[in-house]
Amino acid sequence: MTTNGDAVKVVPVRHYGRWVAVCLAILVVAMVIHTLFSKLPTGHKVCHLVSGVRACHPGSTWRFSWTIVGQYFTTSEILHGLLTTVELTILAMIVGIVLGMTLAVMRLSPNRVLSMAAWTYTWFFRGTPVLVQLLVWFNIAILYPSLTLGIPFSNVTFIHFNTVTLFSAFTAAVVAFGLNEAAYMSEIARAGLIAVDEGQIEAATSLGMTRRQSLRYVVLPQAMRVIIPPTGNEVISMLKTTSLAGFVGVVELLGAASNIYSGNYEIMPLLLVASLWYLIVTTILSIGQFYLERHFAKGALRSPPPTPIQRVRQDVRGILLKFRTRRGALEPLR
Amino acid sequence: MSEHMVEARAVHKSYNGVEVLKGVDLTVERGEVTCLIGPSGSGKSTLLRCINHLEKHDAGELRVDGELVGYQMRGGKLHERNDKQICGERSRIGMVFQRFNLFQHLTVLENITIGQVKVKGISTEAARAKARELLTRVGLENKESHYPAQLSGGQQQRVAIARALAMEPKLMLFDEPTSALDPELVGEVLDVMKDLARSGMTMIVVTHEMNFAKEVADTVYFLDGGVIEESGNPREVLTAPKSERLRSFLSKVL
Repeated sequence: MTTNGDAVKVVPVRHYGRWVAVCLAILVVAMVIHTLFSKLPTGHKVCHLVSGVRACHPGSTWRFSWTIVGQYFTTSEILHGLLTTVELTILAMIVGIVLGMTLAVMRLSPNRVLSMAAWTYTWFFRGTPVLVQLLVWFNIAILYPSLTLGIPFSNVTFIHFNTVTLFSAFTAAVVAFGLNEAAYMSEIARAGLIAVDEGQIEAATSLGMTRRQSLRYVVLPQAMRVIIPPTGNEVISMLKTTSLAGFVGVVELLGAASNIYSGNYEIMPLLLVASLWYLIVTTILSIGQFYLERHFAKGALRSPPPTPIQRVRQDVRGILLKFRTRRGALEPLR
Repeated sequence: MSEHMVEARAVHKSYNGVEVLKGVDLTVERGEVTCLIGPSGSGKSTLLRCINHLEKHDAGELRVDGELVGYQMRGGKLHERNDKQICGERSRIGMVFQRFNLFQHLTVLENITIGQVKVKGISTEAARAKARELLTRVGLENKESHYPAQLSGGQQQRVAIARALAMEPKLMLFDEPTSALDPELVGEVLDVMKDLARSGMTMIVVTHEMNFAKEVADTVYFLDGGVIEESGNPREVLTAPKSERLRSFLSKVL
């Protein structure tokens, strides 16, 4: 800021309320960190020989049993459970996304029968708890002891399955989570498809593209920008929903942890082990989501949003600049 | 080969019971520029959209290059054409929209190649060469890797014209191509269109640019209330209108 070419000191607005809030936030964070690494007395005395003298002090242990957490964090049982959790998540999401996209396109079809069928599917699978659906699929053999592939309403059969062997606990979980997810994904995909401007479809049509071509080359790539963020949310939500698979005997991450603590009663440390792994996978997924969103934002923004590293660099540069200008007041503009 | 490029006889079209076109007759000759003028809601855009079958007309006869639009006459019956045939017809009719409608997720070059590659089955290399040639023609040779959002309205519309031309159309339809532009950008788009008209392209232009119509059009049609009120040579129609309605329309526009 200059008046008559002389440098004038600029006094920024003081945000007193914000400062109070910042202090409170720092206080809460400090309390959390303190309690995470606090200790509990064990009731026993611990004695050492210090230069020939016996010194005793009351024993203590981590409140959150970090030593035990560390012991179990990478045991093969936990890692196997983690692998099962990740497998379940990936398979169920593939089923959910593919079926969900199909349902969304059906829902938007000008044909009333197709759109009603898609609506009914969503209504049913969103309207009942996923745990109930899981139990139903696991017990589906009660309704259909065997499954055959043949011509409907005739005696011609091609393949015959025994339902109990086909629907293992794992398969039942993939089917239940996948079909349930499809209902949610179809709404997400539908929102994305609707969000694409109608002019885009008209332009594609006027070039001579078929409905399928304009969907594939014009509408879907643009719908992805709207579809990806909530889908990332769904993947993270699915990661944690898979813990329900323990109900039908799939040993996933939480199942593995509970198998261990039912033997050694270290309930809290093992729940912590599971939680930490869930957090780690969620973090990896969030990073992946960020870069996927960036990829599909092509053309929608004049410049892509900065990566976290770029943002940190910008922040540091901004703070440095602030200090420099505050100290010396602003240079006159040239 | 029939003598007329477009021929409309008593074309009707309604939306939800509201009649927008109430029997329109129009003839467009090869290599001619035809301008459709008239107040908003008069059916100009609808007529244009019927010609490339973006809208289905309800009654009347509409022919492009001698072929019925959307139908086929076989054994004394009109058979509706299937999607593939209709798409084939459309790919030979270029359309330019008021709001450009460039594909937002594709670069300028990709916008111009996608139709050639996916619809006409031309190799990517050949399509790129053609796209670059067209970009030079519309004066945007240095913008090929930009995204539409990074261009001005006038530049976007010129890309849209290049995109339509890439399909080597026999007929170009313009739906108010300069109505969404800032006044200072209108000229650059009209220049490209004039250049196109000089090259002998058959064009139908819905427009409010009376000077353009006067200068470039071979025939002007004035639509009002879903019917053609007046038509003919632009110098006569626009300077000495016969009907009262055209006179009052022109007094508002000019």
